[in-house]
Amino acid sequence: MSIQSKSLIIAGALTAALCSVATVASAEDAMEKCFGVALAGQNDCKAGEGTTCAGTSKVDFQGNSWKFVPAGTCMTMELPADGAGMMRNGAMEELMRDLPEA
Amino acid sequence: MNQSLFAAALLDPDAPLPRGIIDPLGRPAPKRFAVYRNTVASSLIDALKAGFPTLVKLLGEEFFSAMALVFLRAHPPKSRILMLYGGDLPSFLEEFQPVAHLGYLADIARVDQALRESYHSADSAPLPEADFQQLLGQDIAALRLTLAPSLRLVRSRWPVASIFAANHAGGPAPKPAAEDVVILRPEFDPAPHLLPTGGAEFIAGLLAGKTLGESLDLATGPIDLAAILGLLIAGRAIVGVTK
Repeated sequence: MSIQSKSLIIAGALTAALCSVATVASAEDAMEKCFGVALAGQNDCKAGEGTTCAGTSKVDFQGNSWKFVPAGTCMTMELPADGAGMMRNGAMEELMRDLPEA
Repeated sequence: MNQSLFAAALLDPDAPLPRGIIDPLGRPAPKRFAVYRNTVASSLIDALKAGFPTLVKLLGEEFFSAMALVFLRAHPPKSRILMLYGGDLPSFLEEFQPVAHLGYLADIARVDQALRESYHSADSAPLPEADFQQLLGQDIAALRLTLAPSLRLVRSRWPVASIFAANHAGGPAPKPAAEDVVILRPEFDPAPHLLPTGGAEFIAGLLAGKTLGESLDLATGPIDLAAILGLLIAGRAIVGVTK
């Protein structure tokens, strides 16, 4: 088989693959990183080589740990108020609240 | 007493108490050493249980723990990092007489181990869709794809994907068949996917740095290239392209 005809086969397969993936992607909800909403030990992680941090948060709603949530729900999801009665909200960036004691 | 003698005695229950292990009164302290030795073994068994959940389901906790004890004494950790401990377990299972009649166990262990390696691999960004579209006009057969560091390939003459699904996702009882599996991690949780015919040869070619055309030639028999590429793109496993 010539390289041109092989390229045609691969290009055809790639076109079909891109179409099928695009359909799946639009059907699935996008996700966003949300800080300060995960229960202790249930945070997600940006894994790096030789490291892991998923499931390492020490306290509920720890401000510097995050979880993937459906896009658009991070800031608005309802969380219990903290011990002093202050409202909690999720955030797209790290929060200073609910940090474990060093 | 030196460290290697101490370490050897930790893994050998018949070894004498290393000299220098004494209680506050200066007497030999065999019970204290036994507690320590037991803790080392049980923590390694726990690490293996966490690392090979499908094996635990297939063999049961009791059998798995007894087997893990035999394994860890013969294959203690080589690295101080426990998260990938057990790399030798698949080949150990191939030689371990009590399960010699369960030929598929070693490959199931390979799937469990590959999932764990994938989980701990570096992040990577998938090739944007616009870049794929650009490839269509080129001599695409001569290009090479870079795959995500979290991708793993497990080839088997056993129905490993079906056995995995039956044990984790309530899949139907496996039927005898050879199955190849690719492990993909689009976000954070790696998952095994059954590959269609020719998929493993094609992906192995890409992993070896061959061009798309050369990789396609490696597949024997009919190959559903669109399905395989679709799987890789949906799994965000294609991260680069080079000439």
